[in-house]
Amino acid sequence: MAKIKSDSLQPGMVVAADVKNMDNMLLIPAGATLTERQIDILMAWGVGEIEVEAAEEIEGETDPLEKLTPEVRTKLTEEIKGLFWRPNEADPVFQEVFNLMLRRRARKEGSR
Amino acid sequence: MKPPTIATLIDGLPTSLGSYAPVIEEIEAALESPECSLGTVGEAIEKDPDLTARLLRLGNSSFYGFSTRLATVTEAISLIGIRQVEDLIVASSIVERFAGVSDSFVSMESFWRHSLACGIGSRLLAMERRLPKPDKFFVAGLLHDVGRLVLFAQAPKATEEVFQLYQREQLLLQEAEVRVLGYDHQQIAEALMRYWNYPENLVQAVAHHHQPAACELAPVEAAVVHLSDYVVNAMQIGSSGERHVSPLSARAWERLRLPIDVLSSLVENIDEQIEAVQEIFLSHSGKTQKA
Repeated sequence: MAKIKSDSLQPGMVVAADVKNMDNMLLIPAGATLTERQIDILMAWGVGEIEVEAAEEIEGETDPLEKLTPEVRTKLTEEIKGLFWRPNEADPVFQEVFNLMLRRRARKEGSR
Repeated sequence: MKPPTIATLIDGLPTSLGSYAPVIEEIEAALESPECSLGTVGEAIEKDPDLTARLLRLGNSSFYGFSTRLATVTEAISLIGIRQVEDLIVASSIVERFAGVSDSFVSMESFWRHSLACGIGSRLLAMERRLPKPDKFFVAGLLHDVGRLVLFAQAPKATEEVFQLYQREQLLLQEAEVRVLGYDHQQIAEALMRYWNYPENLVQAVAHHHQPAACELAPVEAAVVHLSDYVVNAMQIGSSGERHVSPLSARAWERLRLPIDVLSSLVENIDEQIEAVQEIFLSHSGKTQKA
């Protein structure tokens, strides 16, 4: 079972758990095979992601940080930390955003 | 030099919403008519070919991510919803309204890129939080720093002082605004949006996007715009003049009650949507200059 964002859904995927809108109205029952029309309905209701049966393993992305040399990694870390105004480094939200930004930059760096 | 008051800044601004105001009026008239149908509303929009093109491009972009291709305004309205279409028209006319502001303090392209990204992020967070009318949040995010535009356009001298103090004392730009003017861009936006008769919860969300914990009337709305602004600043998508990411309110995050993994999909989706949305909304300012 995997959570898939609605904009990445493909017709033919199998819904793993009931999909409801914010009024708790059932939009698509578990076990249904998705059609294009149903995907549009999910979009129209603003359902961000749903659970589908994993047909195949999603190819694992290698961590972009591993591709960096230690020097570049230190440079990026300092650069990104410097963006934040007096961050509370113990805050898990700051940590998550910081790590996301580091990987995002590393990916760009890697594709150069 | 005595800084201008908020009232003087707002005073010189037009009350209407630019060239799209007649379209909005026609849509409203069509909606009130007993013969109202998707077709009659669609016709009101189709009278403006530029708006029609933009609406279809947005409907076919990753912003909505429909799997079918929209070919007509009627299809767009039926999938997107008429109120949402109106919100997008309003958003578009706001960008147009301020098309002439000079680049001397902040590049306007960069300013709008930041604003659009904040709108995209606010809308995505609203959808994630299952809040009603996520497209309204797009408008709130788009407008969150509009107070700065008013300041740049209406009081260049005072803006200059703000930026000098900001550079010299290494403050947040918002703090420099308060020191020079006695108020900040949030309060200017609040006054402007009231002047434009915006729904109060959106006014509140914009007026408290830096200190959402202080917002009592629309705490969740303010928290949505605050978090989106934080993430978009961290992503360095455009800028409204502030080079730092302003502090995150822990209280706002708690109020949103969202799981932490929302952040990675938020970043991914903003990256995916910003280019198309920018292209659609900013191609507009080119049109106004030519006209």
